[in-house]
Amino acid sequence: MTREAIGGSVWTRRGLAAMGIFGLVFLTVPLVIVIPMSFSSARALTFPPPSLSLRWYETFFGDPRWMEAMWTSTFVAAISSVAALVLGGLAAYGLRRGTFRGRDWAEGNFMAPLIVPTIIVAIALYLGLAKVGLLGSLVGLVVAHTLLNVPLVMMVLGVAIREFDQRIEQVAWSLGASWGYTMRKVVLPNLAPSVFAAWIFAFIGSFDEVIVTSFIAGKYETVPKKMFNELILEVNPTITAVATLLIAFTVLALAAVAFVLGRAGKLKETVV
Amino acid sequence: MNKASRLEGFGFIAPLLVLMVVAFNAPIVYMLGLAFWEKGRGFTLEHYEGLLEAPVYLRVLGNTMRIALIATLANIIIGYPLAHWMRGLGRRGRMIALAMVVLPFWVSILVRTYAWIVVLGNGGLVNRALQWSGLTDAPVSFLYNELGVTIGMANVLLPFLVLPLFAAMTRIDDRLLQAAASLGAPPRTIFWKVYFPLTLPALAAGALLVFILCLGFYVTPAILGGGRVPMISNLLDTLINQIPRWEQASAISTILLIVTLLIFAAYRRLDRKASA
Repeated sequence: MTREAIGGSVWTRRGLAAMGIFGLVFLTVPLVIVIPMSFSSARALTFPPPSLSLRWYETFFGDPRWMEAMWTSTFVAAISSVAALVLGGLAAYGLRRGTFRGRDWAEGNFMAPLIVPTIIVAIALYLGLAKVGLLGSLVGLVVAHTLLNVPLVMMVLGVAIREFDQRIEQVAWSLGASWGYTMRKVVLPNLAPSVFAAWIFAFIGSFDEVIVTSFIAGKYETVPKKMFNELILEVNPTITAVATLLIAFTVLALAAVAFVLGRAGKLKETVV
Repeated sequence: MNKASRLEGFGFIAPLLVLMVVAFNAPIVYMLGLAFWEKGRGFTLEHYEGLLEAPVYLRVLGNTMRIALIATLANIIIGYPLAHWMRGLGRRGRMIALAMVVLPFWVSILVRTYAWIVVLGNGGLVNRALQWSGLTDAPVSFLYNELGVTIGMANVLLPFLVLPLFAAMTRIDDRLLQAAASLGAPPRTIFWKVYFPLTLPALAAGALLVFILCLGFYVTPAILGGGRVPMISNLLDTLINQIPRWEQASAISTILLIVTLLIFAAYRRLDRKASA
């Protein structure tokens, strides 16, 4: 009787199941289709592929421009994700534990890059960086990615810090532990799974960022920027291989997050 | 409140605050300034007057609104039954369905948009199925028109609606529904009089969020529209990168920013209500 209260007749339930499955198919089919296409031997995007080959992967890994883009993306993602993790993590802690005034205002400002349309952030940064002569520099790129990643980090760590019992920290202090010691030995070990999740999310966020990067990167190419530019000009099957690699990378990263959070029993609160 | 507690914890946010003020707030204020400034003459509203006079801007604005609205409606029509169906699944089924919603959310938007070229193209899966089944003789053009852009945007944004909606639906106490049933209400009445009203704030909040994101969408219209379906963001791109008219771009950005923040304020109110 529990779930059947609003289930209605058999036909209502079947109709609902059909609509639900349609929704899931709509969400996932594009991703599932891209994978076999990347192993196609043909240049035209016909499904199913006429025969299988690895030629688009060979093109991708053999192209020095793609490899350089990959290196730039990894470099920027590595630095900006760690910077966002440190700055955003400290801020999330200060916002949850602090008593200073204007906390809501500060939090709103830190979360703003998530709400303000990315195109506006891109234009503002383009104009601002042009003004100070940092347009097309790696510094500008890393700073931009850092502030775009901060909201992700703060969302994940904000929840984790709120759930972590403050009295445990107070006990450590009252026993004479310094602030740094409490952080290292009490707070961080307890938050480690969430810190890992936040770092992965920030890394993916930076690695996939395309809009701001296209505006401010100048001569630097990242994987998404190069992909975007090629997609606007023509449909090149090499992109299918890149897309498959990005899907594989995301699946692995999320599986790692699910594993670490699941082991700590924190999966549900972070996902939903 | 003593002085120490008025500042307690501030040191933790100070580094990020400095970064945000220098690298985020200052550029946005500078952009707002450009929109109201003319070299040598100071404050002006002429960049806004320019917007009203050129029909192309109004047309793009109308386009953007229409596509955003249709994509949001499509999201509601697909997303609500999906979230509702997921609520009724068992633990395992829920986890699998949830993973299938969360995974696309994290896959690069470029990959998801590109995938639609593969699926909807002339030799793509959908057209082959249509021709094979004899419904059409020639391929249907889904790409490089409004239809393709709308499908792509609805797809990319669906998790933003489904995830909070599903969370709100799982918070609804089954006993409420049982109580209604035990008082003799038929399933249809329980759904429309009890269940649906309880999910409405979350649905409205999710729809507003999707609408905001649609307004500023850039990647999907650029790729699936093939330059033939201009939306605000693509217009901004042209005004910055191709025919440099920064003041005009700043003026449009300012309007988009204000509209977004207003809708977001409404979203926040609904979201508080939904999670309360």
